[in-house]
Amino acid sequence: MYRYDEFDAALVRERVEEFRDQVARRASGALTEDQFKPLRLMNGVYLQLHAYMLRVAVPYGTMDSRQMRRLAHIARTYDKGYGHFTTRTNIQYNWPALTDLPAILEDLASVEMHAIQTSGNCIRNVTTDVFAGAADDEIEDPRPWCEILRQWSTIHPEFSFLPRKFKVAVIGGPNDRAAIRTHDVGLEIVGRDGNDTLFRVFVGGGQGRLPHIGKEIATDVRGTELLAYLTAILRAYNLLGRRDNIHKARIKILVESLGIEAFRAEVDRQFETLRDEDLRLPQAEVERIRAYFAPPAFETLDGSSGAFDRAVLADPDFARWNRNNVRRHRQPGYASAVISLKGLGEVPGDITDTQMEVVADLAERYSFDEVRAAYEQNLVLPHVKLDDLPSVWRALLAAGLATPNADLATDVIACPGLDYCSLANARSIPVAQALSKRLADLDYQERVGPVRINMSGCINACGHHHVGHIGVLGVDRKGEEYYQITVGGSPDEQAALGQIVGRSLPSEAVAPAIQRALDRYLEIREDGERFIDTVRRVGHEPFGEAIYEGLDAAV
Amino acid sequence: MKLLTANRLDDGRVIYWAEGGETTGVLREAARLDAVMAETALARARSRPDVFVNPYLVEAIDGVPSGRDRIKETIRATGPTVGNSLPHPASAGAR
Repeated sequence: MYRYDEFDAALVRERVEEFRDQVARRASGALTEDQFKPLRLMNGVYLQLHAYMLRVAVPYGTMDSRQMRRLAHIARTYDKGYGHFTTRTNIQYNWPALTDLPAILEDLASVEMHAIQTSGNCIRNVTTDVFAGAADDEIEDPRPWCEILRQWSTIHPEFSFLPRKFKVAVIGGPNDRAAIRTHDVGLEIVGRDGNDTLFRVFVGGGQGRLPHIGKEIATDVRGTELLAYLTAILRAYNLLGRRDNIHKARIKILVESLGIEAFRAEVDRQFETLRDEDLRLPQAEVERIRAYFAPPAFETLDGSSGAFDRAVLADPDFARWNRNNVRRHRQPGYASAVISLKGLGEVPGDITDTQMEVVADLAERYSFDEVRAAYEQNLVLPHVKLDDLPSVWRALLAAGLATPNADLATDVIACPGLDYCSLANARSIPVAQALSKRLADLDYQERVGPVRINMSGCINACGHHHVGHIGVLGVDRKGEEYYQITVGGSPDEQAALGQIVGRSLPSEAVAPAIQRALDRYLEIREDGERFIDTVRRVGHEPFGEAIYEGLDAAV
Repeated sequence: MKLLTANRLDDGRVIYWAEGGETTGVLREAARLDAVMAETALARARSRPDVFVNPYLVEAIDGVPSGRDRIKETIRATGPTVGNSLPHPASAGAR
């Protein structure tokens, strides 16, 4: 893992003191809310329905046990004993008092964490594949590049006041587990040229009320020139992006209005100047950052484990968890374990302080002191010996964290919705909970297999409903909560936006409607087809028919 | 009838304008304001930025939020309807 150097530490420490002064001036009345709002947003502080909300950055989703324990401490001391992981691998606290925020930031700084650039019109926390450095389909570990981008983008003077927020995701191979084409910029490592890494670059992805899938702008940007190329993109956006209309200010709108060819030409024009300037990354610096992400000291194992095999045979519950939540690892004898934060009827992404402590203990003991936050609002222990998986599972089971549903129908991505969010039109969590309870039968879920279901409480789409295989969007109809369903979205390397299948439904109709769509899939799928494969083959119409079967849709 | 609501500056919690210009966190204790009283209360709340953050008026019938934002205002009044924010023994600052 990366460790702060003296520059990082000083920057974060100074920011804490700066914000402490700003909070004191706000509390004393010396600053008005209008004056304070941009300052708090620069430190990840929102004012939501019931309280302030603090969004803490987990850089590229990677944490150690010390950091996880500190997050638990903050939940216990300053909040209501829990935190909420988001699709951008941040953690949010829903109840901190304004006057406690400096102390919370100081606590975070003590473990090399902060909330800088988790909101505001700047470059946000860079995200990546939750299995980075562990997956066997990776060309190169993307995390060193995420760290390089973190350092480059943190308090970047030119890019601290962009037209709108700017999100970047990086993956290390062709299989996209970080939804890069829904980001303002998506980077995919495609190969090497000598010592240099080559990146395919997508631009102009985004969700919200005008969703776009990112378009390819370059096929082989060299790692040593990556910062120059990204600067060219951001400079073009900063100069040409709209600032007169918040709904048309994201780079996706600029790319769409200019066309990708014209936007590429503008970026290339900027790049020609920038590539020869001091933004060229020295190879030695790349290697220095890479060294922080060197593989841990794996044991040399033969890839089999008697303890693991015996546990699979002896305990069907462990076998089920292994089938659904354990992923192949590049190192023989190891695996990655998904910790589902989607327990039966629970809140997607929520984790209590006690559970965080358990995860920290497991990471320290069994996963080289590393735990990851996932796009899907789950956690991952990236490097667990097969021998240790039964012990890890038993500890997770005791903590209520062993729900064997990773990537299945109840592994729902959902935003906080109207229960917390001041922007929302409708609640998301109760609808996700109703679905979780309705589809609780794990045999049924396994029969259905992998399916991504996403829920958002408003068109801002924090629950990524546009790219859910099944998406649910909460809408307001004359003061009542209704839900629009989409089918066929996908966040992966075949990224696509879902199609609206019909009129919106009342909340109690959503879970049964989704189950009918899944049942229809079971009826019509061909051998080996996942839900999304069947949708791609037959279109969304059969699923729309199932969703509205026997139902009078709302007007 | 209208109610006046805001978030409290120091902890962000939901507050209402009560009789005599006091604040309360309890919906049923909120002052029920006619149109003139509501505008007066709003002006007075805006003049107290050390307490009231983003004050605004809510439509209500018999002290209960009504109109298009009634669900949102009911959730603001009573807290999240589900999940880990429901009463919790370790809650700090909950009401």
